[in-house]
Amino acid sequence: MRANFIGGVLAVIAIVALIVGYSAIFTVYETRQALVVRLGEPIKVVTEPGLNFKVPLIDTVIYVDKRILDLENAAQEVIASDQKRLVVDAFARYRIIDPLRFYQTVGSIEGANSRLATLLNSALRRVLGENSATTVVRDERQVLMGRVRDQLDREAEAFGIDVVDVRIRRADLPEQNSQAVYQRMQTERQREAAEFRAQGVQRAQEIRSRADRDVTVLLAEATSQAEKTRGEGDGERNRIFADAFNKDPAFFAFYRSMQAYEAGLKANDTRFVLKPDSEFFRFFTDPTGTRPAAQAPR
Amino acid sequence: MSWSNQGGGGGPWGPGPKGPWGGGGGGGPQPSGSTPPDLEELLRRSQDRLRTVFPGGGLGGKGIVLLVLAGLVVWGLSGFFRVQPDELGVVLRFGKHVREAQPGLNYHLPYPIETALTPKVTRVNRIDIGMRIEDDLRRGTTMRDVPQESLMLTGDENIVDVDFSVFWVIRTDAVRDFLFNIQQPEVTVKAVAESAMREIIGRSNIQPILTGARQNIETAVHDLMQRTLNEYGAGVQITQVQLQKVDPPSQVIDAFRDVQAARADQERAQNEGQTYANRVVPEARGRAAQITQNAEAYREQTVAEATGQTSRFLQIYEQYAKAPDVTRQRMYLETMERLLSGTDKIILDAPTGSGGVVPYLPLNELPRRPQQQPPAGQPAAPTQAQPLMGGTR
Repeated sequence: MRANFIGGVLAVIAIVALIVGYSAIFTVYETRQALVVRLGEPIKVVTEPGLNFKVPLIDTVIYVDKRILDLENAAQEVIASDQKRLVVDAFARYRIIDPLRFYQTVGSIEGANSRLATLLNSALRRVLGENSATTVVRDERQVLMGRVRDQLDREAEAFGIDVVDVRIRRADLPEQNSQAVYQRMQTERQREAAEFRAQGVQRAQEIRSRADRDVTVLLAEATSQAEKTRGEGDGERNRIFADAFNKDPAFFAFYRSMQAYEAGLKANDTRFVLKPDSEFFRFFTDPTGTRPAAQAPR
Repeated sequence: MSWSNQGGGGGPWGPGPKGPWGGGGGGGPQPSGSTPPDLEELLRRSQDRLRTVFPGGGLGGKGIVLLVLAGLVVWGLSGFFRVQPDELGVVLRFGKHVREAQPGLNYHLPYPIETALTPKVTRVNRIDIGMRIEDDLRRGTTMRDVPQESLMLTGDENIVDVDFSVFWVIRTDAVRDFLFNIQQPEVTVKAVAESAMREIIGRSNIQPILTGARQNIETAVHDLMQRTLNEYGAGVQITQVQLQKVDPPSQVIDAFRDVQAARADQERAQNEGQTYANRVVPEARGRAAQITQNAEAYREQTVAEATGQTSRFLQIYEQYAKAPDVTRQRMYLETMERLLSGTDKIILDAPTGSGGVVPYLPLNELPRRPQQQPPAGQPAAPTQAQPLMGGTR
């Protein structure tokens, strides 16, 4: 009985010692930092991971995340300086650098998120409102994101928070503007398509006309060449005739006249009225043929 | 990593206790996916386990000692853990990163002194943006479009529908960063991917995006993402950014297709014109050749004829020159003979100057010869006499 009692007491003491000893140590994980509070008064901040000690029962430990934390912001409409509306959806990444101030001002990550979301919204409106929609979307997105980040970072310093980055995820037009954009895109494409088709017709017409022109020119050149060739032929002919006929022009005249009579006075369309005293009829009435000839028949 | 995986005590510790800790003999729960485990959760679960094992000793003396010893042995053995080939073990001592463990069987000091995490470092993770791939047993893999993610504004204020995938791995040289630096790596990668893609798309005009610039966009997004994630110290390596679909929005895609059709129409019209030209011009060349050849033929013909005729004339002349009067007379008479033999003739034997033919008019009513046909054997005179003139003189 007695031994049992002593054993029981020892066991109780051991258990109490274990509990007290266990509550005197605490571990800080890599992802966390710890704030040690003694009866409501913060006494130290532990950022290095590992095993740490505190006064049992009196000190309490508050763990604060050390990682980069997400802040997702719901999409909201922002009016740019040129009165265009943009639906902007931004997110921020931040880190708690001063656990004490963080704990004192916002208390928890949820609290920090809601405070930061408000600040982020107003910073976004402020910065984007000073710039035109094209600047936001195209030209200086990165610069503007940097400016929002700087503003938010300055304001969040009061919460012991370091804003690592602010990024605009979406910067889109509101739904009703999107419809207008779709219509514009459609008409632009239609215009483009019409232009392509018309250009096709134009090119085709050009090619055809060019071909027609080539045809005309080819034929004209050929004709011109042909006339020249014919002229050469005719000239040559004249020369040949002249060379030959100049040997005796009088005989040529006679010879040629004979041919011309034969060709010109055709058998079926000519009727002669002759007098028997012509040269042809020299012997017709006078077998001696002494009368002088008069002239050729007419 | 649970004990039951060891195939009933096939492990090197042979007949060791078979999983008195339930399934959690290893240093800690496996991180689900690549998300680091919530350490608080881990702590709580382990405490629960301790409580179930020591429900408060009711046995006495030796029994207690044995129980404590057995407990110590089991506790000591609980430090074994296995690292799969695609994993890397990270051992924490009191929450502090102390060493890394390679794939295989490893040991860490039992909880709560040391714990181990096993992120899958070789696995390539994939994030789809603008679409979700769903495995359906009946229909196979289907792709669902997510327009609120995929529709984005371009620099020239058009809207384009972009689906893309990002592949990433945990950087082996920065596993620590991955585990301890970022709250939700997966969510962060996705958010960064979206913002980077929209930033790049927002900088360019729609036409290059739709046509040639895919490679450039992929590279630019890849670089921008990697830079941003490095700034965060996320321990994430982007291996690839892959554009899946880059289209105009469905509302206007028909108009875009029509532009393609119009381009084809343009080609077609040009080809038709070219066809016409290709047909017409050679034909004209042929005709031109015909014209010039005709002219050549005419020239040759004319010259040949002229040569022939002069040669005939010269032959006659040669003979004529030998006896001019007789030949002239003969030629005259022969011509007249031929001429008069084929024609109607009226011979009036009236004295000269006594009124001529007038008394016999009209001549047309005088009787004609009944038949014009020249008798056979007579030379067909007019065909022999070629017309020499024309435009000659």
